[in-house]
Amino acid sequence: MSELWGVLEEHLPEFASGLWVTVRLVAISFVIAMVVGTLVAALRVAPVKWLNRVGGIYVEIFRNVPLLVLLIIAFSGFPRAGVPVSQWVAGIACLGLYTAAYIAEALRSGVFAVGKGQVDAALSLGLTYPRTMRKIILPQAFRTVIPALGSLIIAMIKNSAIVGASLVALPDLLKQTRDVASETFQFDEVFFWGAVGYLLLTVAATLGFRYLEDRFAVRR
Amino acid sequence: MSYLFDPDNWEWLWTGNNFRFLLEGFAINLEIAAIGIVLSLVLGLLLALMRISRFRLISVPAGIWVDVWRNLPLILTILYLSLAVPGSWRDAYEDAIPGWFPEALHSGLVLGALLALVVYNSAVLCEIMRSGILSLDRGQREAAASLGLTYTQQMRFVILPQGLRRMVPATVSQLITLIKDTTLVTIIAIAEVIGHAGSITSASAFTGAQAPILQVFIVVGLLFVVVNLSLSRLSRRLEIRERKRSGTTTERVTGLEDHVALESDVTGR
Repeated sequence: MSELWGVLEEHLPEFASGLWVTVRLVAISFVIAMVVGTLVAALRVAPVKWLNRVGGIYVEIFRNVPLLVLLIIAFSGFPRAGVPVSQWVAGIACLGLYTAAYIAEALRSGVFAVGKGQVDAALSLGLTYPRTMRKIILPQAFRTVIPALGSLIIAMIKNSAIVGASLVALPDLLKQTRDVASETFQFDEVFFWGAVGYLLLTVAATLGFRYLEDRFAVRR
Repeated sequence: MSYLFDPDNWEWLWTGNNFRFLLEGFAINLEIAAIGIVLSLVLGLLLALMRISRFRLISVPAGIWVDVWRNLPLILTILYLSLAVPGSWRDAYEDAIPGWFPEALHSGLVLGALLALVVYNSAVLCEIMRSGILSLDRGQREAAASLGLTYTQQMRFVILPQGLRRMVPATVSQLITLIKDTTLVTIIAIAEVIGHAGSITSASAFTGAQAPILQVFIVVGLLFVVVNLSLSRLSRRLEIRERKRSGTTTERVTGLEDHVALESDVTGR
């Protein structure tokens, strides 16, 4: 037991900096994922057939390719094509674009839950299509999908560990845990604290989204 | 763009055994996934039944177990279990594995990865199954009980057949995630598709020139798209057929990560 606390005391700076990197990685990627996800969702519900198709292809590709493969393509593949990509850019872009596909699908189902009548009503009032989306449909759709976004951000926290484990090797919580473990050889203790770090994040996200849900969510 | 489509950069695909070698690696992913899927479904159902048990001595520990594992990154679990599994377990695994299993799965290293995949996915599937079962009307259970069915009979003939049907879309999307997650075992040096792709891009003994990383991994990604897309299409077909047969719109059950996506697929809107 004393060893357990000893490891934490001695290596707290590593764990803390890893946790902070993970938090930043997830936060920035989430913003990207929301923006791209909303755009793709708008493509998927647009009244133009070929735009639907473009959105569909985006979703099917990013949802079905493993994140690890995306990371390798971005971090090792692109530089060969003459596009240098830094650690952070690779991590944020891959995690963000990967999650965007899921967010797009969640929003799409949210948009359909709002109902076609409202679109027709807004259009007949003379609002343009983009304006209808922005003012009428999306605000409601976001509120419907809050629970889904909650489980997506938890999945994102977990997926962010892949960035640290892959050859991108951002010094996130997983990377730090691994490094401390190979330095001290106290695998049980070190991985215990790494796990506690991730549980802290996922529990915080769960509680945060539960609050948002109580406050804003619309049950349909 | 010109780099991407330059025929010289695609030559590796039909040179030597490169493409076959990739497929062989991919087959190992699918085999690991198959074992993981079977074990996770069985263990997940077991955990779900424990979680809805009336005895708190069973339901509370099962709940804690499930909540911990499903909230940890799978990669962390893989790394930890591959280090923590005792050597004697590994030896036992190497002895126990049937000879007709593929070569890559014979090493004791695989045990930790398999355990991690099963522990994580069974926890996620448990939650999906539990909500499937709980989404049923209470009356179903009460009616079954008042007909004189025992607990086991209620579960087997009344609750599970209905509850499990509702969770099919969420389960399939979790299984797709599982298939994608098999690539993570490359981290403990199991030679699957990522490993094979890596050696194609570095080995020059066979081909004379090394294959470009970008193109090789695009092909790897496409392999996953093909398999996962057909799986989700298949499940959608089944769902639609089932709905036509029963003439009802079944309530769908929410799962984790992928459920939202598949849910809207299934409704076909």
